[in-house]
Amino acid sequence: MNPHNENTGNFTDIVRSMPGGEYLELCYSCGTCTSKCMVQQKLEPTYNPRRLLRKAIFNLEEEAYNDLTTWLCTQCDICYVACPQQIHISSILLAVRDLAIQASKISPINTARVNEQTCVACGLCVQVCPYDAIQLVDKKVPYRGLISVAQVDASHCMACGLCGAVCRSTSIALEEDYSDETLVNELWHWMNPKAEVTP
Amino acid sequence: MVDAARHPNIDIRTYTEVERVEGFVGNFNVQLREKAKYVIADRCNGCGECAKVCPIEVPNYFEMNLAPRKAAYIPMSQSVPLIYNIDMDACIHCYKCVDACGKLDAIDFSMEDKLSWEEIGAIVVATGFGHFDPSVMSEYGYGKYPNVITAMEMERLNNSAGPMHGNLVRPSDHKNPKRLAFINCVGSRDKRYNAGCSNFCCMYSIKNAVLLKQMNPDVDISVYYMDIRTPSKGYEEFYDRAREMGVKFIQGRPGLIAEDPETHNLFINSEDVTLGKVVEHEYDMVMLNQAAVPQPDVDTMSSVLNIAQSPGGWFMEYHPKLRPSDSPTDGIFFAGACQGVKDIPSSVAQGSAAAARSGRILHADEWEIEPTVAYVWEDRCISAEGKKCGVCVRSCPYGAIDLQPGKAAQVITAKCHGCGGCVAECPSDAITQLHFTDAQILAQLHALLANKPEEKILAFRCHWCSYGGADLAGTSHFEYTANERGIRVMCSARMDTDFVYEAYRLGAGGVLYSGCHPQDCHYITGQLVGASRAEKLMRSFDKMGMTPGRFRIEWISAAEGDKYARTLNEMQTLLDSIPPEHLHEEIEKLRPTMAQRARRMRLLPEIEQAFEFTTKFDLAVIRKEGERESA
Repeated sequence: MNPHNENTGNFTDIVRSMPGGEYLELCYSCGTCTSKCMVQQKLEPTYNPRRLLRKAIFNLEEEAYNDLTTWLCTQCDICYVACPQQIHISSILLAVRDLAIQASKISPINTARVNEQTCVACGLCVQVCPYDAIQLVDKKVPYRGLISVAQVDASHCMACGLCGAVCRSTSIALEEDYSDETLVNELWHWMNPKAEVTP
Repeated sequence: MVDAARHPNIDIRTYTEVERVEGFVGNFNVQLREKAKYVIADRCNGCGECAKVCPIEVPNYFEMNLAPRKAAYIPMSQSVPLIYNIDMDACIHCYKCVDACGKLDAIDFSMEDKLSWEEIGAIVVATGFGHFDPSVMSEYGYGKYPNVITAMEMERLNNSAGPMHGNLVRPSDHKNPKRLAFINCVGSRDKRYNAGCSNFCCMYSIKNAVLLKQMNPDVDISVYYMDIRTPSKGYEEFYDRAREMGVKFIQGRPGLIAEDPETHNLFINSEDVTLGKVVEHEYDMVMLNQAAVPQPDVDTMSSVLNIAQSPGGWFMEYHPKLRPSDSPTDGIFFAGACQGVKDIPSSVAQGSAAAARSGRILHADEWEIEPTVAYVWEDRCISAEGKKCGVCVRSCPYGAIDLQPGKAAQVITAKCHGCGGCVAECPSDAITQLHFTDAQILAQLHALLANKPEEKILAFRCHWCSYGGADLAGTSHFEYTANERGIRVMCSARMDTDFVYEAYRLGAGGVLYSGCHPQDCHYITGQLVGASRAEKLMRSFDKMGMTPGRFRIEWISAAEGDKYARTLNEMQTLLDSIPPEHLHEEIEKLRPTMAQRARRMRLLPEIEQAFEFTTKFDLAVIRKEGERESA
């Protein structure tokens, strides 16, 4: 049972009641979605939307939350156009993800972070974000007082990096492997393959 | 085939189309268009000299366009009757065939299509099925990659009479393939194209796999499937045999076929569901088991024969379980896949059944139909006054109503099955049903609600299902309320709104509107007509402020006696829960509205006429010959 939805039935019922979830049980496990999936092909070999649907059907709540599939779907909907049962798989995955967030699970994705000291709240990142994960909020920032800054909703950010690419004040970026510095370094090495030191 | 052609009572008309079908059981008039063959049938002896000299080659559709044929041709060497045909679209008028034919003088370039009317007693529709074109599924690359072929092309390639004489080769380089993949459910069980299962693809992919393995045990064959369906006798054993021979079955629907542009080898990307991971295998050749779909001209045929189509486009049978080879129109029968996809044994069985059932008609001098047919009161039909209506035509599941502009609607008695849908739907109350006239039903209704109507629950039951359900409740001794009063009609389509209003006007406590489940209706779509009417009634009662539950709609099959008893007991409990003075008040409050809405009751004096009409029309038996002669 989901502690946050005790009154509305079990996990399967909740997923089924969410938009797109009404077709959950139509899945006959043909595997087309999995073989079509770009995340599966390029990133994570164990990624399997079909299996996540099974977990949702059989009320395997914890297993569904711990499955990487819950978190990595980019909602490109390649599977939707290929699905012979016309199940909108990404909306089911999103429903499971929302439930997981309600159950205080944390996305394993390293999301975009905002440098609140330099953010000027121009709103460019809000416009480009394909997942509607960024909002401008008024908040108290150390040394700057109550100002408007961008805020990333960690549960919706898919770490695509678009915000970092458009930000004019380099105030928003992905961390670690895909930060601006790493990328510039990689680019420099690619352009100067014989160089031994980083500039 | 040859035996059929020689039989004195069998007349094979090839290259002939049915243009129009008129009349009714035993007395059909059919217009045939015999297309010009440009070869005189009586003179042609099938020697084939014309084809030998013909310089034009076009793809042969019988060989799935894998081999050529001439412009003077027969589609295959076993053609019956063995008469050549000249394809005028391809012919260049060199007249070499005329010279080759010589003394026989069988070729006539001035021939034209011949139209003729034939008198027909019974019709068997055996138009078969068509093939889904997999080139619309871009992920499989059919038409783009030479080594992706369809199952029908495979049939021709490995057939010893086919273009390659049974030597299966890859179209790209004419080498024998060593690794083959078959993909099932291409375009079938797929809501984007055809939702239904194509029935026989599992079996023919197994058959082809076994055949190829027998020819060459070294060949590596994989079958990609979602579910293998082997329901008939011996099929599962055949599937086992394929597994024993080493055919690999991979559960998973391929998402993509990619091609190596140099070798033209193919890579299939699919999830192996049993393994739980995505696999990619390389093959020399891929066969797509494409869906069986209705013939491309099924809509034309359906309007010529005036027969409805089931979802998916197959011809609709009279009843899916009890009369699967009869069409809704008496005298027209189905054989084979035109009624729904089926394999060879089932098609043969249905063909024999259709032949036997047509034989019954051909051997009968008189043909009995249900006596409960509908009849139009012509002076009341507003179409006669030139107004546009056509409500009856739309409600008839059998196309039995003929409506010409400016004339009163006519019921073609031989086509009417007596559901009563048009009778209840007619806004001018111009149609009546013999044995179920308004007067008869209203008389029952008045009698049943004569005493203490507020305690009674009036149940309208359809003859085939809920009446059977009520019967079963009785014979099974299920206890239910003694206040139930039932009225039987043939179909829920006959349950007129006026009857329900009249029941409430008389003060009925509750009314149950019951009939078959939608898929079980014995009058094809009769239940739908009744159901949409009942739902409208339900909405208007809600608006009037009637206590919910006093009017109830339930679909009860003949096997659901318990449901019938339970429904009535629930209605009784509801009535008991309303204090009598409240119920009385509600009945009195609604009575004027009900009286105003029950249109038939305003025509009360004319109800008497119904009795006259029932005696006037003794139409139950149609004389097969008599009607034509008098016409």
